[in-house]
Amino acid sequence: MANLLWLQGGACSGNTMSFLNAEEPSACDLVTDFGINVLWHPSLGMELGENLQRMLRGLISGEIPLDIFVFEGSVVNAPNGTGEWNRFAGRPMKDWVRELAAMAGFTVAVGDCATWGGIPATAPNPSESVGLQFLKRGHGGFLGKDYKSKAGLPVINIPGCPAHPDWITQIVVAVATGRGGDLSLDEFGRPKTFFSSFTQTGCTRNMHFAYKVSATEYGQRKGCLFYDLGCRGPMTHSPCNRILWNRQSSKTRAGMPCMGCTEPEFPFYDLAPGTVFKTQTVMGVPKDMPSGVDKTGYVKLTAAAKAASPKWAEEDIFVV
Amino acid sequence: MVEDTQLVSDTRERDEISALLASGLETEVFPRADTHEAVQEIVARLRTVDGDLKAKLVIAGFTDHPIEHGGIEQPCETCMYYLVHRKYCELPELACSVEPEWSCRLWRI
Repeated sequence: MANLLWLQGGACSGNTMSFLNAEEPSACDLVTDFGINVLWHPSLGMELGENLQRMLRGLISGEIPLDIFVFEGSVVNAPNGTGEWNRFAGRPMKDWVRELAAMAGFTVAVGDCATWGGIPATAPNPSESVGLQFLKRGHGGFLGKDYKSKAGLPVINIPGCPAHPDWITQIVVAVATGRGGDLSLDEFGRPKTFFSSFTQTGCTRNMHFAYKVSATEYGQRKGCLFYDLGCRGPMTHSPCNRILWNRQSSKTRAGMPCMGCTEPEFPFYDLAPGTVFKTQTVMGVPKDMPSGVDKTGYVKLTAAAKAASPKWAEEDIFVV
Repeated sequence: MVEDTQLVSDTRERDEISALLASGLETEVFPRADTHEAVQEIVARLRTVDGDLKAKLVIAGFTDHPIEHGGIEQPCETCMYYLVHRKYCELPELACSVEPEWSCRLWRI
């Protein structure tokens, strides 16, 4: 039996909604098949008021073992570092977070806000939000770069806006069943099993990417979304086209550009007008290249690929 | 049949544009759309012309030869909006037949 506590900071509950929609395994499977005891969750917890405070104090004192501490949402420090804008169970949430993280076997940050600050931390960041161990790309965050949970791991970051339901439950199951030591994390604390490949990996538009045929409108079935519509699939680490959403599809498959929501910089360009869903260019060349590709190589490749593109690549091959 | 009709219509339009450019139509070749803001500004102007072919060519800065800018040649044939087999510009605000060696200032790769 592994005790799990889930708290929310500066959050929209999107990751909770995602978690509750998990399928492989489902949130119920965590309890029935994997012996996870959900001590409290904002949407599932039964305790209120004094009872909840008593439980949280019990976790901090060590009276109740805290095996897995899941945090959703940013850590809010406003105003002026006090955290008073986000009070929970009688005190600033950030104070609970610091003390609970010190006792946790594993600490898991779910979603962009908990991992790197996300949208709340977008400039000018009025809520003084930070992620648990990162603020955007900067290592440190609320717990500091040297933080390790009792199991000896840094915060396990499962980013996304929201994170995919099954990324959450699969990681929780891994740590609850004693396989936390098998987790290999990247430089941003993301499990490599999910975040080494790109969103583009498995995208049904890869043929159009290869032949440099562009989609020019949302929902078009032909064409790649990278060239004009701001898709960040070629430079975003996520398995969105390997572990499909609702087990059915993905944004890019459905004709909507990837916004790069598993990367620390999300939302890119601080949501400046005209930067969302539009490929940013300098002298006609994309400002953000596919990972590992330089400008000269890109221009040469594109010219050659375009010249070689077959006729079918310009047509809608996904005929109903 | 549909393809044949499209081919005839595309060829006619391409000939018309070719004649306009050959006759010395002055277009806004420079400044090129180097930034996102510049692209947006030109596209916004294109949205106001509503099918006026000559106005589209002028605003987009069409030429019947490639323009080199920033050390890169910018012909239609390498542009993202160019359909190689149809010889067509697919940018919704332009949507017209072109030749591979033509160029415009909305070129993007």
